[in-house]
Amino acid sequence: MIYEPGPMGPDAVSGLVGPGRVSGVRGALRRRRSRLGDHAYSALRWAGAGLFGAVALGLLVGVGSDSSAALQHSGIGFIWSGTWNPAAGQYGAGILVVDTLLTTAVAMVLMVPIGLGTAIFLSELAPRWLSGPLSTLIGLLAAVPSIVVGLWGLLVLTPIFANQVEPFLASVPALGWLFRGEAYGPSILLASVVLAVMTLPTMVSLSRTAFGGVPVADREAALALGATRWQVVRRAVFPAARAGVSAAVTLAVGRALGESIAVAMVIGNRPAIPESLTTPGATLGSAIVNQFAEASPGLGTSSVIALGAVLLLLTVAVNAGGQALLRSGSGAPAHTAGALR
Amino acid sequence: MRAFRIDGRAHAPRALTSPRRVAGPLAVLAITVVAAGCGSTSASTTKRAAGSATPASANLLGAAYDTTTSAAVTLNGAGANSIEPFFETVFYQYNQKNPNTTVNYSPAGSSVGVTDIQQGTVAFGDSEIPMTASQLAAATGGTILQIPVDLGGVAISYNVPGLTKSIDLDGPTLAGIFDGSITNWDDPAIAGLNPGITLPNLAIKAVHRADSSGPGYDLDQYLIDTAPAWVTAIGTSTPSRTWPQASVGIGEQLNTGVATYISQTSGSIGFVEYGYALQNGFVNAAIKNSAGSYVAPTEKSIAAAGAQATSLSATDFNVVNEAGAGTYPIANFSWTLVYQKQSDSSTGIALGKLFDWVVTSGQQDAASLGYAPLPSNVVSLAQSTIRELEGSAGTPLFAS
Repeated sequence: MIYEPGPMGPDAVSGLVGPGRVSGVRGALRRRRSRLGDHAYSALRWAGAGLFGAVALGLLVGVGSDSSAALQHSGIGFIWSGTWNPAAGQYGAGILVVDTLLTTAVAMVLMVPIGLGTAIFLSELAPRWLSGPLSTLIGLLAAVPSIVVGLWGLLVLTPIFANQVEPFLASVPALGWLFRGEAYGPSILLASVVLAVMTLPTMVSLSRTAFGGVPVADREAALALGATRWQVVRRAVFPAARAGVSAAVTLAVGRALGESIAVAMVIGNRPAIPESLTTPGATLGSAIVNQFAEASPGLGTSSVIALGAVLLLLTVAVNAGGQALLRSGSGAPAHTAGALR
Repeated sequence: MRAFRIDGRAHAPRALTSPRRVAGPLAVLAITVVAAGCGSTSASTTKRAAGSATPASANLLGAAYDTTTSAAVTLNGAGANSIEPFFETVFYQYNQKNPNTTVNYSPAGSSVGVTDIQQGTVAFGDSEIPMTASQLAAATGGTILQIPVDLGGVAISYNVPGLTKSIDLDGPTLAGIFDGSITNWDDPAIAGLNPGITLPNLAIKAVHRADSSGPGYDLDQYLIDTAPAWVTAIGTSTPSRTWPQASVGIGEQLNTGVATYISQTSGSIGFVEYGYALQNGFVNAAIKNSAGSYVAPTEKSIAAAGAQATSLSATDFNVVNEAGAGTYPIANFSWTLVYQKQSDSSTGIALGKLFDWVVTSGQQDAASLGYAPLPSNVVSLAQSTIRELEGSAGTPLFAS
């Protein structure tokens, strides 16, 4: 904050009213000082933007150059070639890409409805005495490090999944094929659940902020037209908050795609084509975690960094795809979306 | 009280983030600066010591001197996860006897130990498998000395309800379990080796290391030696630190991850360093050795494997499938990695004294932790290797 919008203080007044009121040397000094501030602010802005660009560029160049050996060895087929077996010198990211997309998709299917529901409840329906503490609690949950969530998955959820959840799901008629195979515990499903838990708090607090940003007048107008409570949410609040909600989903997807440690702890690290959701798998992130320390100089290290490059590309592609989908199917008025963005 | 501290970081975020890659050059820079700053002093000290009739007592090895260092030194190390229970205990005890030396050890895995010492970011590394010639060539600080510091075994542990004593397993059966061709505990292959034991009709959940590991390398070596089908399946007869059958069963990180999975999952079987199996109270399989007898891992059977290593060296380190009726077939030595040339002589002296103590007095704790004391020829090898430590001027740090 450059300007303190406080109502008091001679500086604020002179700044607002302009040099006309204050004359002489003092006024000139003020003007110069404020111009100096403007320059400093502008320089800071450019420096910030430049630094951010440099970091992004540095990341791209670094990842690109370090992964060039792997790409030269396997060609562009590295991205979809199916075998990841460093012990035999076979490097291909295909299965890892599939498992990464699968865990993220399942996590979002589990998380987004619950997250949206909770956000709507907190912002529209919950009494104030409940929504305040609950929001604080969710904010706290968002700060839990991913390795803690991973440990919880490993120590608490794994035995429950191995002994109860996975055998039960496999016995469900008509859906059993989705969950067939040996119940190891660590699996694509368990990783998705852990990712869902991990991304839920961010989703809830961002969506709640978006809902909270919708003007009260919009709600009152809808109510005045005779809308029910649900219709107010559905027709007035949700469309206006759409941009904010989609930003929340985008963030959650990004985090789920890239999460490494927690996933490596609960997915079972099996780089094979998944038979079902309850078989172990391996994502790009978990493979990087497990293999980077191996660092057989040259091809091995380069291939692991190339996995990072693929992950980067995947994240960009998924986000761009999501944005395009949102824009094409958007029923939201352009100005509302723009205003909230 | 400032006691020995274990660095409990998981290895992965450390390996992934750039600070480590930055830390390499930075540490080298720091070492260079330190060396430039005190190089002349330490050289003249050494000269004085060499010139006088009696060498400074600080520079002698052996039981009488092994815990006396005058300068306060902190030694940071990283490496094998398998040796961690042993290191944790001996480093703590050493610090109790010699409060001037504080040791931090990060059990992030053998390969981290190798890369960290190559880049010079630690005072010592540790690896279950000695460094290869190409790994040694990639070291940034010159010649690396490899000191054998413990003798351990790889336990095949399982969690099967009702099966509370050791079952017998041979190479081909183990290979079948880990390549996915044996999927049930009452499989005829297992039952055939264990007449008189009732095996349950329960699915086998095989767990291996997801990261590269010493125990994985040793078991791979044993299976290559004993199971032709394993060699056919993995397509090579060179053992690998990265588990070659990663798409069968599940992978967990480090000994702790595998041990956690075994302890909480019925029907599971996996391999861990024997020290971890002992800590967790696991039931371990008796493995067929080269004499044809089935032997479970114990201090005695692992020591029997070490006793066969009469010509141990960093290039001849294999103690898998050794001779002897009482020998446990999956054993290994762990190797500490230090630079021969120590730019800071007080660090070099502290390192030498520490590991001299570890391979002598420190060994008495080995048995209770699931390791076997080093055979005397290996202790001699370790001590003669320690004597090769040099100061920055190339003069030996220890009198012989």
